[in-house]
Amino acid sequence: MFEALFKYSDIDYAHGELAYTSLWPIWLWVGLVALAVVAIVLSLLRRYEKGRGLKFASVGLLQFAMLAVAIFVLLQPVLRSEELRPGVNTLALLLDASGSMANGAGGVTRFDTARAQLDIVAETATRTGLEVRRYLLGTEAQGVESFDATVPAAEGTAIARALRDVLPAGRTQALAGIVLVSDGIDTAGGLSAATFAELAAAGVPVHTIAVGRERMPEDLELQRVSMPTRALPASTLTARVSVRHDAAGTARVKVYDGDALVQSVPLQLHADVQTTTAPIDIPIDEAGYHRLQFVLESDGSETELRNNRQSSLVKVAADDFRILYYEGEPRWEYKFMRRALGPDSDIALTTLLQVSPNKFYRQGLDSPEQLAAGFPETRDALFAYDALIIGSVEAAAFSDEQLANISAFVSDRGGSLLLLAGRNGLGDGGWGQSTVADLLPVLLPPSTETSFVREKAHAQLAPQGVRYEPLRLGATDEENRQRWEGLPDLADYQRTTGVKPASRTLLTVRTDTGVLPLLVMQPFGLGQSFVLATGGTWRWQMSLPVDDDRHERFWRQLLRALVSNAPLRTSIVAGRGEGASLDVRVELRDEAFEPIGDMRVSAIATHEGGESQVVELMPDGESPGVFTGRFDPGTPGNWYIEAMARSDDETTEVLRTGIYVDPESREHFNLRANPALLRRLSDVTGGTFFAVNGLDTLPEILQYSSAGITETVDRPVWDAPAWFLLLFMLKSGEWLLRRRWSTI
Amino acid sequence: MHVFGRLWLLLAFVAPPVAADELTPGEHAEFRFVRLAYGSNQLAEYGRGRRTKWRTDMPEAENHLLQGISRLTRVEAAREPHAVTALADDLFDYPWLYAVEVGYWALNEDEAARLREYLLRGGFLVVDDFHGTIEWATFIDTLSRVFPDRPIVEIPEDDEVFHVHFDLDSRIQIPSRMFIYRGVTWERDGYTPHWRGIYDDDGRLMVVINFNMDLGDAWEHADWPEYPENMTALAYRFGINYLIYSMTH
Repeated sequence: MFEALFKYSDIDYAHGELAYTSLWPIWLWVGLVALAVVAIVLSLLRRYEKGRGLKFASVGLLQFAMLAVAIFVLLQPVLRSEELRPGVNTLALLLDASGSMANGAGGVTRFDTARAQLDIVAETATRTGLEVRRYLLGTEAQGVESFDATVPAAEGTAIARALRDVLPAGRTQALAGIVLVSDGIDTAGGLSAATFAELAAAGVPVHTIAVGRERMPEDLELQRVSMPTRALPASTLTARVSVRHDAAGTARVKVYDGDALVQSVPLQLHADVQTTTAPIDIPIDEAGYHRLQFVLESDGSETELRNNRQSSLVKVAADDFRILYYEGEPRWEYKFMRRALGPDSDIALTTLLQVSPNKFYRQGLDSPEQLAAGFPETRDALFAYDALIIGSVEAAAFSDEQLANISAFVSDRGGSLLLLAGRNGLGDGGWGQSTVADLLPVLLPPSTETSFVREKAHAQLAPQGVRYEPLRLGATDEENRQRWEGLPDLADYQRTTGVKPASRTLLTVRTDTGVLPLLVMQPFGLGQSFVLATGGTWRWQMSLPVDDDRHERFWRQLLRALVSNAPLRTSIVAGRGEGASLDVRVELRDEAFEPIGDMRVSAIATHEGGESQVVELMPDGESPGVFTGRFDPGTPGNWYIEAMARSDDETTEVLRTGIYVDPESREHFNLRANPALLRRLSDVTGGTFFAVNGLDTLPEILQYSSAGITETVDRPVWDAPAWFLLLFMLKSGEWLLRRRWSTI
Repeated sequence: MHVFGRLWLLLAFVAPPVAADELTPGEHAEFRFVRLAYGSNQLAEYGRGRRTKWRTDMPEAENHLLQGISRLTRVEAAREPHAVTALADDLFDYPWLYAVEVGYWALNEDEAARLREYLLRGGFLVVDDFHGTIEWATFIDTLSRVFPDRPIVEIPEDDEVFHVHFDLDSRIQIPSRMFIYRGVTWERDGYTPHWRGIYDDDGRLMVVINFNMDLGDAWEHADWPEYPENMTALAYRFGINYLIYSMTH
C-alpha cells in the first residue's frame, strides 16, 4: 500500500531524503504564492456573512491545504539517496556449516533451511547488481564456489573468527555487506563486547538470518559442569551441574570415577525455568588424577544423547591446607573440635584461644612467633590461611582493619569463613551489625537481644543437606538418615532471624520454639561463608560410645569442605579454547594474594600416551599476574600440563594440572538456536536481522548498504499518486461542505 | 588455733552427708565444677570417720575456686557446683570431674567401666587429697579397674598441663588444713608430693593425680587467715591449669 501511494517503499524513504528540483527562481515562487493567498482571501471575504465565520474558516483551510499540496508538487520533489553502484560491489554469504546445523525437525535440517535462504539472498543480490562470494562458517571461514555439495560437519563455530576472515575482502573487493545464516551457536566462547566493537568499527553491515528452534522440549542437555580442578584425598568435591530443558520432568545425574559409580542424584525439572542447577557432592579417595564422567539420564525419549555427557579431570593431591580458629573463651567445643580433626596431615589447624583478658593460648603453630600478637593484623598474615573459624568472640574485639581483612579474605582471597555460636558469637557478639554481616549467609538479631540458648536441642539434616556430601555420616541414604536421627542432642544453639536468598540451609535444629537454621552456607565473592549456630556439638562426642565416629566425621568433613574450594596462591587451569584448542591459564600471586607480574612462565603439555608439545605462555594484558597460552591437543584423552615460573631472583614455582579432551565435539551441546546473538551482531554493525522466510525487504536493505561503492540517485516523487489523491480529497471535501451549507 | 577456726572445723564434721542424687542442679554455664560421688572402701571404716569421703571440702572448695576461675580466666563457670556418680545419666554432660579423698574410693565393675568410657571419650578427671603408701594402694586398687593396662606416670616438667595458663615450674607440697595445727605439710608417710597422670593413646592427659597433697583444702580455706596464702594461690593456679588443659587438649 505504501509503495502504491508513494511510488517507493518505506525503506527507500528511510534511506533517502527529499530534495526539490524545480528550476523556477525563488522570487517567482513567492509572488505566485502571495497571489494565490490573496485570491483565496478575497474570494472568501466577498461571500462572507456575519455569524458564519466558522464555516468560512473551514472552507478557507481546505483551500489553503490544496494550495500547499499544489506548491509541493510543482516544486518537483525527488527522493535522494546513496545506493550501491551496480556491478562493482560484492556481497559475502556466510553459511554456518557446523555440526549443530545438522539438527532439525520434520526431516529438514537447519542447514537445509539455511542453504535455501542463502539461495534467495544470492538471487536477490545478483539481481541488485552485487557480486556474490560464498563462505562456509566453522572454526574459521572457508571460501567455496557453491554451497550445493556441503554438509554440516565442522567441529566448532567461531563466528568472530569467521567474520575476521571475511572482512579483509572489503579492502580489495568493495564489500557491501555480509549475510550470515546460522543458528547462533558459537562454540568459541561467544562474542565479547570488545569483539562486537571491533566488528562494528569495520563498517561493513552484517545481516543475519536465524535458523533453528529456540525451544526443544524433547531434549535434555548437560549444559555445564563446574567444579574445582583439584581436591584433597579422602575429601568431598562439590560440582555444580546445569541441565538445560524446555519442559518439566525428572532426570538423574550419575557420576563415575573411572568406571565406578560414585554418585547418583535425582533432579526435578520445573517448567518455569529452562536451566536447573544442582550441587553434587562427590567423594574422592586416593591421590592422583581422576577422570569424572557426568551422565544425564532421562526417560529415554531423547534423540540426541551426545549432549548428555561431560567429563572432567581432577587432580587429587595432598596439599597442605591451613585453618585459623580464633576462640574467645575456653570451652568444650574448642577442645573437641581439635580432637576430632586428629592427626589429619592435610589440614593444619592453628588455634588462637583467649584464655584470659591478658593471655592467648596458641596451638598448632608453625613457629613460636606465629600469632604472638593475637589475631593477624595484616592481609598477608591472614591470607596465609585457607579458612577462618571464629568462635565465641565479639565483633568489637577486631579492629576495623581486621574486619575489612576478614571480608577480603572471603571475597578476594577465596577463603572460607565459619562463624560458630556462643555467648559472644553471632548475634550476641554484634556480628549482625558488623561490616562482616554482608558476607554471612544468615540474618542475625541485634546484640541487645540474647540469642544464645544453653538448652539441649536436636540437629537434623535439612533437605539441602541430605545431598551435601560433607555432612554424610552413612554409606547409604538410609544409613545416613538414621545416623543423623540417632545423634544425641546438641548442648546449645543460637537463634538467627533468617537466611539469605542465595544461601543453602544444610542443617536445622529442633527446639522448643520451632525449627531453626543450624548450618547455613553461601558463596560470597571468590569464597564462601558458613554459620554453625551451635557451640555444642561436643556433646555428640561425649554422649556416644568411644568407637562411634560421627563427631569426628562431622568435623573432619566440614573442615575439609572449608578448605577444599579455596584457591591456591598459584594456580594453573586448562580449559577449552576456540575450536578444538585448549587454553592454559597460570595465575601467580604473592603472600598477600597480590598478582606477581615479573616472572617468566613456560609450560609443556604431555599426553597420557607420551606425545608432548610446548605451550607458549604470555602475560595477560588485562589481568596482572595471569599468563595465558593455547595449544591444539589433537589427540583425545588425558593431557597433563606442567608450568614453570621463574623470577629474576631465581625463585621458581612449578604448577601442574590435567585436562581430559573429549572426543565428542562441543557442537552437540547448546543445540537451542541463539537468535539473540545474531540480532545483536546485526544491530551493532548496522545490518538487519531476518527471520527465516522473512527476506521480503532484503533487496532494499542490500541496495542501501553503508559499505561498498555508492552513488547518489534521485527518484522523482512529484508524480506519486498520494499527492493527487490528496488534492482530490481536499477539493471533494470543500465541494461537499459548500453543497451542505449551500450558501458559500 | 583461733576459736572460730575450731568451731568451723566442728561444723564441717557434723554437717549432714548429701547423696549424689539429692544434689540441686546448678545454673547453665559452659563449665560446671562436678565432683565424682563414689562409694567408700573398707579403709574408710577404720578410724577415719564415717563421713562421706567424696564430699570432703564441699562446697567451699568449689565455691572459692570457681570465683578464682571467673576472675582469672574467660571461662564461663556455673555458680553452683554439682556432683554425679559414675552411673549417673548426666555424667557425660560434664567433661570435667574432680574426685577427692580417693584413698577411700570404691568403684564396682560397672562404675569403673563407665568411668573408663567417660575418660576415653574425652572426659578429664582430677583426683586429690590422698596421702601415703596405704592410700595410694587403695587408690590404685580401684583405678586399676578403670584402666587395668594403662600406666600411671610422673607428669614431666615440660608437660603442657604445667604451662597451659600459668607456668608452674616451682611445685611444692600443698598441705591440708592440718598444716595449721601440726606445722608440717605431709600426712602419714606422704612426704613427697607427686603429680602423676594417665595419658591416652594420643599423649593427652586423661587423669591428673595429685598425690600427697590437698588442693581441695587450699581452695576451701582460701579465706582462712591462718592458711598460707602462697599455698592457696598455688592451688588456684594448679586448678586453673587443669581446667584450661582439659578444655584445650
